[in-house]
Amino acid sequence: MKNSFTQSMAWLHTWAGLIFGWLLFAIFVTGTLAVFDKELNHWMQPEIPATPVSQAAAAHRAIAYLQAHEPQAGNWGVSLPTERSPGLRVSTGDRRHGGGVQLDPGTGEAIAVRDSVGGNFFFRFHFTLDLPRNWGIFVVGALALVMLAALVTGIVIHKKIFKEFFTFRPDKGQRSWLDFHNASAVLLLPFHLMITYTGLVIFMLIYIPAGVDALFAGDNRAYFQAQGNTRLEQPRGLSKQPAEMVDVAPLLAQAEARLGPIAGFNIRNPNTAGARIEIRPELGNRIALSKGQAMVFDGVSGQLLSDVSEWRAAPLTQRVMVGLHFAQFGGYPMRWLYFVCGVISCVMIASGLVLFCVKRGRKYAAAEVPGHRWYRLAEVCNVGFVAGLLLACVGLLWASRLLPVELAGRGAWEVRAFFGLWLLALLHAGIRPARQAWVEQLGLAALLCIGLVAFGGLDDGLRLAVAACALVLGVLLGLVAWRVQRAQPTARKVRSGRRVEVEA
Amino acid sequence: MMWLVAGGALFAYAGMLGLCQGLERHYKHVWNHACPVALGKVLRGVGWLALLASLWLCAQAWGWAMGPVAWFAMLSLAGLLLVMLLPYWPRLAVGLVAALPLWGLLQWINCLAPG
Repeated sequence: MKNSFTQSMAWLHTWAGLIFGWLLFAIFVTGTLAVFDKELNHWMQPEIPATPVSQAAAAHRAIAYLQAHEPQAGNWGVSLPTERSPGLRVSTGDRRHGGGVQLDPGTGEAIAVRDSVGGNFFFRFHFTLDLPRNWGIFVVGALALVMLAALVTGIVIHKKIFKEFFTFRPDKGQRSWLDFHNASAVLLLPFHLMITYTGLVIFMLIYIPAGVDALFAGDNRAYFQAQGNTRLEQPRGLSKQPAEMVDVAPLLAQAEARLGPIAGFNIRNPNTAGARIEIRPELGNRIALSKGQAMVFDGVSGQLLSDVSEWRAAPLTQRVMVGLHFAQFGGYPMRWLYFVCGVISCVMIASGLVLFCVKRGRKYAAAEVPGHRWYRLAEVCNVGFVAGLLLACVGLLWASRLLPVELAGRGAWEVRAFFGLWLLALLHAGIRPARQAWVEQLGLAALLCIGLVAFGGLDDGLRLAVAACALVLGVLLGLVAWRVQRAQPTARKVRSGRRVEVEA
Repeated sequence: MMWLVAGGALFAYAGMLGLCQGLERHYKHVWNHACPVALGKVLRGVGWLALLASLWLCAQAWGWAMGPVAWFAMLSLAGLLLVMLLPYWPRLAVGLVAALPLWGLLQWINCLAPG
């Protein structure tokens, strides 16, 4: 039945691409949005002011607040205002468990900030699909493998990679869809391969634990320590004696001179002779992801106790790959390059999904043809997973502003709004003719995107940028919806009409 | 930095354009006549040189570690932009390369101004 190598590759590409493409599209869209996670966080919490404050001044205000409210805590965590995230947050627990209090960086007063999942939701969904963490990581890992397989099989079955390198023939129905799918996949192939492969490398110890199991009896912490990530022992006795702490500002300056821009710091055992100040760099000072690195100072004398560790070759390789995926380096120009490449990846996947239906449209369009029901299912899923997901994403931003501020478990309600909208979009796609469903959902997503401008906050650079970007994306989506709508009368034209979507 | 980034992007586009116009079929599509063999070779050669210039500018902007990452992204995006413009506005797609001398001129003025 599949008698040649190329044919079996084409079969795999078609079916794996269709069945897993729906979720891969969701992963790519949320990953692309997560490039601007902090900016979205800031937009979704409009209470946070964006007053430009020096980090030293903000640090003093944070410490004064903690001195007044939490003098006995065993650990103070401070996230300083940075270029991408102007808020000042203090906490007493472990930083990654969230919580904490948001302060006005200009005055040091606590401010009430709405509970919102923020852009972090897109980041978390990107690698867990909102499933329980480890389950999600495995599912997304499996999907990444399918993506790699789709890329490789795609290269095999696309025989004219170089001959048609610059080829795009619009207004030719199926041919145009295939041309676009090929051009966007081939021209961005370095990006597709890099982002998929490095995505797998992030959780390599979860996916392939055998090495650590054999050499470190499965103890990841022991492995990291052997690779040079040693932590200083906490001085037990000294942490009982009260002591006056050193000024943090010169230490911040010293760390900044060594590491580049600073993200925040922790003070362990504050107000004791055993106080330790750990200063964390921002993630983007180099390609290798510097998560977990810090310069540690003695909290009383201000002496440098330990510098950031140098990684050995193997962990450094992994860190660089992870850093390539996280896209924290290179400042805003690099972030935009990643964002636009991500958008093209999404459209590449979407064009492949649409191509599946366009190719079979003539054969299965009539209701009496056997197989029509399956064709219809693919069509419904295409609308619901492509246009519907876009609706859900912009719907999350609306929910963050519209839900009552005092609602209990507000963040969870935002997530429910996201999934609720997505489900509604799937149902809507199920009861409407496919073309109508495309127009209506894309049109609504466009309106919602453009409508984000109405929430204001335009005097603040970051929020203005989010609104402007939403406006541009909204206009592009609207253009797509309009082209689909306008090209309605004949089936042939509709296909070419939807081509604009691929440009969006 | 922004000037270097813009230059890197412009050279990437010019490079892709050179490689594209160096091919018989795309040259004919724009100019409606066959491409002289020698011109084709020159266009392809200049295209590769422009891509190298783009790499160099990216490295100046980001350093030699991050620069190549940005360079790959710029090549891809410039190529896709070109492919999308060609069928609709072929002359515009070629004409965009005029931004490059403009950029050069502004760079030159920039260099003169402080001194």
